[in-house]
Amino acid sequence: MSNQPYKTLEQEALICARCGYCRNVCPVYKVVGWESASPRGKLSLARQIFALNDQEKLTDEFIHRMSQCTLCAACSQACSTDIDLRCLYMDLRERVADMGKAPKGYKALWANLEANRNITTFNNKDRLDWAQDVDDPEQLEAREGAEVCYFVGCVSSFFPQASEVALSVSEILTKAKIDFTTLGGDEWCCGFPLLASGRADEARTFMQHNVERIKALGIHTVIASCPSCHHVWKHSAAEFLDGYKLEIHHTSEYIARLIKESRLSLGEMQARITYHDPCDLGRNGGVFQPPRDIIQAIPGVEFIELAHNRMQSLCCGGGGNLQTVDADLASAITAMRLEEIRETGADIVVSACQQCEQMLKAAIRKTGLSVRVMDLSQLILEALG
Amino acid sequence: MSKILYQSIQKEFGDRASSSPMERELYSRDLGPVPALLVDPLFHTMPDLIVRPRTTEEVANLMRCCSAEGIPITPRAGATTVFFNAVPVKGGIVMDLNGFSGVVDLNEADMTVTVKAATTWSDLEAYLNPRGLACKSMPSSAPSATVGGWLCMMGCGIGSLKYGSLLYQVRTIEVVLPDGKVQRISRKTNPSIEWFEDSEGTLGIITEVELEVRMLTTMKHFLLHLSDNRKGVQIINKLIGAKVRPYNMHFSDQYFVQGLKNLGISDLSIDAGGLLIIDYEGSAEELVEAGKFVQQLVKENTSVTLFPESEAEMEWEERFKSIRIKRGGPAVLGGEMWLPVNSIPAYLEDIGKMAKAFGMNLISYAHIVSPKRATAMTMFFAEETKTLQYIINLSLLKKIQDVGYRHGGYPYGIGLWNTPYLRRIYTSSQLRDIREHKKKLDIRGIMNPGKVYRSPFMLNALNFYLGMEAFALIRRIFGKRW
Repeated sequence: MSNQPYKTLEQEALICARCGYCRNVCPVYKVVGWESASPRGKLSLARQIFALNDQEKLTDEFIHRMSQCTLCAACSQACSTDIDLRCLYMDLRERVADMGKAPKGYKALWANLEANRNITTFNNKDRLDWAQDVDDPEQLEAREGAEVCYFVGCVSSFFPQASEVALSVSEILTKAKIDFTTLGGDEWCCGFPLLASGRADEARTFMQHNVERIKALGIHTVIASCPSCHHVWKHSAAEFLDGYKLEIHHTSEYIARLIKESRLSLGEMQARITYHDPCDLGRNGGVFQPPRDIIQAIPGVEFIELAHNRMQSLCCGGGGNLQTVDADLASAITAMRLEEIRETGADIVVSACQQCEQMLKAAIRKTGLSVRVMDLSQLILEALG
Repeated sequence: MSKILYQSIQKEFGDRASSSPMERELYSRDLGPVPALLVDPLFHTMPDLIVRPRTTEEVANLMRCCSAEGIPITPRAGATTVFFNAVPVKGGIVMDLNGFSGVVDLNEADMTVTVKAATTWSDLEAYLNPRGLACKSMPSSAPSATVGGWLCMMGCGIGSLKYGSLLYQVRTIEVVLPDGKVQRISRKTNPSIEWFEDSEGTLGIITEVELEVRMLTTMKHFLLHLSDNRKGVQIINKLIGAKVRPYNMHFSDQYFVQGLKNLGISDLSIDAGGLLIIDYEGSAEELVEAGKFVQQLVKENTSVTLFPESEAEMEWEERFKSIRIKRGGPAVLGGEMWLPVNSIPAYLEDIGKMAKAFGMNLISYAHIVSPKRATAMTMFFAEETKTLQYIINLSLLKKIQDVGYRHGGYPYGIGLWNTPYLRRIYTSSQLRDIREHKKKLDIRGIMNPGKVYRSPFMLNALNFYLGMEAFALIRRIFGKRW
């Protein structure tokens, strides 16, 4: 990530040297192939529109290009002038949204969030439906004074396939005898989909609500299995803490600690496993080692890195609300990642993000590749026996 | 372009051809931030069509069609230059060659690799390194610059000090000539590779390059503070002449170093002279020998200080990011030139005088690319949004080139904007030779027209010099507080 503070859209657009270092690492450019799909191209147009006041260039074509981004931040990593492009894209989307020109896909998302406080059309009161299969679902209802709050996230709460992640995390925490709870129906979307679609102010309302709920319950540790939720809690929601002490961890970090403290014991598993770094957890969140430590702590596992890993990891295509505006492009990006997975010869590809896993599973179904996609929590649970 | 040709290209290439105004605008510029006010009245930089071919056959077919109708073709890949080298000035078709990427063949016995021409240097290095191999040299814009692009831009950069320019590492190239003929070209063929070394896409389209590689070896880095530039150049010459020649040497003057520190990009600070980064690669014995040599130099010269190795390694890690200084701008204008190594101190002294005369800060660095030559860059910050001042400031680029010229320097790269300096860059016989090459291969003049060989009327030497001198005078009188 950039080590330079983000100034303004205008200033950063003028700073861009148009060197094109960003282009070669951009998954969207790799698929689309046109200069306008590259970060350099988008920034060049943003410079014209916002820094040089050429509003005529704010066309539907530009807005479509602007929305074709997974916010993976590979471009920020490559940038020769240290521009925080992830931040810039969110700023750009906010400007466009404020002008009433946001893509249709975003508007549908906003409508769901406004009506239900989550990204789906489901009632937020049903957030704990995923927990029907646990031994005592009621114990997961928001509870004061618990040691840990598990922030489940919209996808794991409402999408049946991803609810496996929530169930696995819940079972692992139970096995480790952790006193944990959730926010239940009081959990609102973390705010990331709003940030990524140009509604930063509304996102803050969501963040503030969640922080206030945590404070009200007197809980001082939050864990999240969704990297984007984790990123928001860690980097954006802090402004609402007002001195309240709160530890924030991704589940991979928290569970790695439990394994290190021998509160969980992993059994043998014969498998060749590779790990896909989710962008928001790895490159954007700085969490690389805990998932690897966990996988490598399983006796019998042969761990193999993907060709692009850690800071250089390739995006799965599922980030930045891209699916809501261009699902085909998102799938094409996944196909590139899948090719690297195939080259490892792994039996299992593990990730730590329900969205990455959903993208990879869909791509694998299409190609018929014989690789199992697992969330890290599912792998751990299987190793626990 | 005839409607029939236009439609047939659109039909053949489908979504790999675009006439979208947004797209065409992006292909009408390169890194050089030259205001539209200056460009648009003089040149037709907006292409009529952009095409992204994927095969040599597609390129050849297009070339044949365009040759028949006399349609200008501008090849473009990384577009990492600043002189409109890959920007059309007479409309026509821009051929986006980025689809020509990847390794075609690796011959480890012969230590050569054949790549598609738009493979970036970083991608090639990433392919070679796990196989125990490495590029002999690469540009300082390796993450986006391509093999074919660098070859026809003289190819001097990181590693050239030890291995020579790219020309001497290339065995053969596959080129599509303007008449659509595909030819494998070597040093012994006619035309030979040498014709293409500084052709900037004006003779044909390079689609494949076979080049030599080296074994991947351990590296050792040193960072020296040379507190006196005149003594410093003697140190540089001693390093060049030593038994173990450095792989790479890069000099940054005190103002460049200070600029990075002011921006919080670097912790390094010096109050005189400059920093010299020296990079060695080779066998363990060679690295030990080189280390001893550097240590001895430091011991014998009180004007030289050795920085910790970690700082030197950091500089090497950041070798592709010299442009970070642009954060101090936001725009930065600069003049790059070939400069004799021995002239660096005198050049920098005169650049200092120029800075004083114009009441501005000038920052410089020099890359030692051969035992005798460096590519020197002198830059200053500018404000792109203040168009008039910005245009007047462009005149200072000529003043920088003039300082270099007084010390044996001349511009690196020609494109459009350096055509006024043709007589500085080439001798009459050299100019005659390259014009003959052009005439022989591109009789209809469709390849990247308006560049390299002749300056357009408004940029002819007299008009250009008079105009720039007038602007420079205005800048000198009124611009000290800009």
